[in-house]
Amino acid sequence: MTRWWIRPLVRLVAALLLPVAVPAILTLLIWALPGDPASIICPPETCGGSAGLAERWHLDDGPMGFFRHWAAGALHGDFGRSWRMLQGVEVGELLAEAVPTTLVLLALAGVPVGLGVVGAVTGRLPAKADPLFHVLGLMPSIVLGLAAAALVQLEFGAGAFDGSARWARLVGGALVLAFSDGALAGAVTGTRGLFSAEARQRYVGIAVLRGETVLSNTLPNVAPALVGQLRARVLHLLSGAVIVEALLEINGLGDLLWGGTIWQDFGVVLAAATAFAVLSAALLVVQAVAEVLVALHVRRAPAVGAE
Amino acid sequence: MSGAGRRFSRWPSGLLAAAGFGALLVFAAFAPEFLPDPDPSRAWQGPGEMPPFGADDRGRSLWVYATQGASILAWPALLAGFVVALLAVFGGVVRATGAARLDGWVQGMGEVVGALPRMVVVLVVALIVPADSRSLYPLAVTWALLAAPGAMDEAAAVAERLGGSRFVEALRAHGYSAARIFLLHIVGYNLRPVVVRQAAEVSMQVVFLELALSYLALAGDRPSLTHADSVMSWAGLLSQGYTWLVIDMESGHALALGLGLIALVTGASLAVSHAARAR
Amino acid sequence: MALRNALRSAGVTALALAGTGATLSYHEVSLPTTLNPLFAATMSDYRSQELVFDRLWFHDAVTNELKTRIVEKWELAEGGKAIKVTLKSGLKWHDGKSMSAKDLCFTVRAMLDKGTPSPIAEGYRGVLEGCEVQGGNSALIRFTRVFHNPRERLGFAILPEGAFQSTAITPDLDFSAHPVGSGPFKGSRGRRGVVFDAFANVHHQPGIAQLQLSEGNDPLIQVKTIINNGVQGIIAVPPTLRPDVSASDEVALKSYDLRSWWFIAVNTNKGFLADKRVRQALNLMLDRSKLRELAIGVKPGEQNSPCEFISGPFVQSSAYYNRAIPVVERSDRARSDKLLTDAGLAKQGGSWTWKGQSINLKIGMLAPLNTEAPDLLSLIGNQLGEGGFKRVENKISEDEWNRQILTGQAGDYDLLVGKWSFGLVEDVNDQFHSRGGKNGKVNIFNYANPSVDTVLQEYDRARTDTAAQDAYHRLHATLADDLPYLFLWKLDTKSAWRTGVRNNIIAPYHYFTEIDGWRYDK
Repeated sequence: MTRWWIRPLVRLVAALLLPVAVPAILTLLIWALPGDPASIICPPETCGGSAGLAERWHLDDGPMGFFRHWAAGALHGDFGRSWRMLQGVEVGELLAEAVPTTLVLLALAGVPVGLGVVGAVTGRLPAKADPLFHVLGLMPSIVLGLAAAALVQLEFGAGAFDGSARWARLVGGALVLAFSDGALAGAVTGTRGLFSAEARQRYVGIAVLRGETVLSNTLPNVAPALVGQLRARVLHLLSGAVIVEALLEINGLGDLLWGGTIWQDFGVVLAAATAFAVLSAALLVVQAVAEVLVALHVRRAPAVGAE
Repeated sequence: MSGAGRRFSRWPSGLLAAAGFGALLVFAAFAPEFLPDPDPSRAWQGPGEMPPFGADDRGRSLWVYATQGASILAWPALLAGFVVALLAVFGGVVRATGAARLDGWVQGMGEVVGALPRMVVVLVVALIVPADSRSLYPLAVTWALLAAPGAMDEAAAVAERLGGSRFVEALRAHGYSAARIFLLHIVGYNLRPVVVRQAAEVSMQVVFLELALSYLALAGDRPSLTHADSVMSWAGLLSQGYTWLVIDMESGHALALGLGLIALVTGASLAVSHAARAR
Repeated sequence: MALRNALRSAGVTALALAGTGATLSYHEVSLPTTLNPLFAATMSDYRSQELVFDRLWFHDAVTNELKTRIVEKWELAEGGKAIKVTLKSGLKWHDGKSMSAKDLCFTVRAMLDKGTPSPIAEGYRGVLEGCEVQGGNSALIRFTRVFHNPRERLGFAILPEGAFQSTAITPDLDFSAHPVGSGPFKGSRGRRGVVFDAFANVHHQPGIAQLQLSEGNDPLIQVKTIINNGVQGIIAVPPTLRPDVSASDEVALKSYDLRSWWFIAVNTNKGFLADKRVRQALNLMLDRSKLRELAIGVKPGEQNSPCEFISGPFVQSSAYYNRAIPVVERSDRARSDKLLTDAGLAKQGGSWTWKGQSINLKIGMLAPLNTEAPDLLSLIGNQLGEGGFKRVENKISEDEWNRQILTGQAGDYDLLVGKWSFGLVEDVNDQFHSRGGKNGKVNIFNYANPSVDTVLQEYDRARTDTAAQDAYHRLHATLADDLPYLFLWKLDTKSAWRTGVRNNIIAPYHYFTEIDGWRYDK
């Protein structure tokens, strides 16, 4: 019982480490890619200046040296410029467009998922509907994504990216994220499972006899697990966003990550990955705070009058 | 329903799962090593004209896609499921033993791994693998390792609901050996449903991962990330089917085959989970 | 002169403002990687940069004569080792500043600066020695030696000195996305496309107000889109889809001469492939006619074929092509087997072996070529397989091709399928001269043949076109015998443009050289 604070503490520490650990790990990974961007642009065998370019981009410093330089700049909001993916464009500019776009995508995807969760908790969504969500959830994002891309292309044309075409891509992408790969189904059945398992506990029966509601008794106890599930759902959506954004040509973080990796544009990859990590860390903090609040609430001695 | 009755009711699921995975392995076994020459005069022929599945835009039989695609993903998907199952069992057992420090480390590492953008890690691994050795195996194992924290978490939660170390102590008091307690009571009876379900889901995800990566490579005129360039993936079926959706080409049969194969995989996966569910 | 240019400029501006306001959108093979001409890596880059920048000299798209829009006069100096160039007055950059000889010399100095990590600049470092600004908007450009075609050696784009801090130009500057040029259009790169806005100038009067470039993705969908007027142009239509375009009354196919030829490079340094007889056997094992039929869609005997076989490293229309060397259209399995046996190979279990070891050919192909010639890699593999060779087939990304293949580090491959495209100068020295120093820069398998080196040096020393042609004719004959490459074909590239786009002359290689004359009636 005295160890209840370990889990939230681990989450908080992880949340602090993530924005540093994730780009550091990715730096090590992308360093293993064959060649390097400087030698791709200017192969040393056929082009003078390759060493100078590598020095300019800190590629001659080893992965950790490179990461140190990058992190020092990033702390001041300077993410450098794109080397290859969108040569010459400031990475900060790309992030400024990509982060809100992905957040909007996630928010839109969160609508059906959130409604599903609320429906499962309140009982408005009957358990009989679960198989339907399950079947929908079996569709891989690649299939639904292609269908959405086809619809957008038919309606607006392949080269339309502004105005209603942009919203069509976002809404299509959000629906793909929400319904495919078991996102909505998992949210509904997971929530329902959590609450129904908790509702079967003896204390709930006693509370009901006292005239209290099931929800008011179960919610504090399932809150940490529920927040954890929702965090897992959001991470799942974030992960799926890479493929969905690439398929539907949405200018979000996932598309930056995909393109940046293909092009070995290290600055773009690290900046986008850091943004991912920050989002993930924020969710971890929310979960840790929820766990702490619930633990404190549960441990608070109820007021009992003296006899 | 009696215990025997419940066990019997899981048989159809078990058979379905075996049939699904078996079909996949049989397809893989029949896959030709190389693509046959195209025959443009037979482009887009339907299953009636070119059994069993019809032809693609180059007049090649879609049977080649089905079999070669299966050969690319069948065994790696199963391997990924196995890796996740092992790690999930590990997570559950650690929680059951009450080893708090180890549990904390596992959880912490799980948080960091879980926060990594999976597709980027997978893509980097795909790009690192030399062209000669290109296959889905490294990506499947990578995906399994990235998905493992979630599976370990869920297995740990199940172990915790059992009572964690107190459950183990109680069974010890009954005189059961450690091996029996962990292998039979914890893993066999309690962790089995979640471990098998997670393994089946990850196997399915690896199949979808292969489809997604192959499709994006095809669309971007890039070398394949998941297989040798002398074979075709099921993603080729989706690519052909896309033209049917957008510009009404006669490639609906390719899309139907692609969706059918995906349904085969998901059906087998569901059946495995159902067969392994708790009593 | 200055007043005349000013009036012309004002008139042009008025025309542009009063113009149709037409916007042309077109699909490119891929988005340009950069708009900085020093770092052009793909043909899409070259085509886009042609809209934004001026080159000192260019070939007329129709007559092929050398022309200029920005040079007032020129004369050779210092015994042919230098050229004095006087620029026209009144030329403006897109930021409104005037172009002068200082910009020309800045461009030369930037290319010579070792701090400019540009393969294109590296090529000019072997040609140019320096530049000196002289009075009256003139510059004296010095060469490293006397060339028989000096103006053709100055086909680089002029850059504005005022847009850079120094002559060391790196690719990650803002200039790469938002360049300042003097060409007919001002370009700006976005995430999903590039927009080119017309910029009227003394020497450019574009008739189109705006061009929008987007990436084409699936070629079949591109063709349907242009037929439905979703876009007005496609730069490259794959051969297999050209009949669909031809069938439409509203879209026309237009030739785009890329001066390119396709080849299979052979690793002459690797074991059994070092024997010329083996290379000749491979050459005879290929049925080029069948390859062309199945990959390009050209049937044997077809007239006006877009795909012409070649027997050497030039296209048939080139003055350097040696017509005395016949092409090998069909396979000859019997002769091929005899050559292999004579070279010491033996067949065991239906597969060729060498010194008792089974041979497994590793064949690679530049991946984007699959769009123009679908399944070519697998067709070649199958033909070699039928000939008795086991093989492994790999597609190779452009990055890997540029980084490893072209730099001579492809040693573990046996055969590589690729394509060369030539700009102003049809110089194949870098492909076939033995690698070392400034020679053989893109010699894929580090092929080394002293007699070939000798011929290539003769070409370098040639002072007349005739001498240059003689040297290259002999090169053609030598290479057709020695076969470091199995020469395949020249494949015409065809663009598709809606018929409302008029007077759209497409220049070889650079494409948009004559964009000023294009008009669009919706």
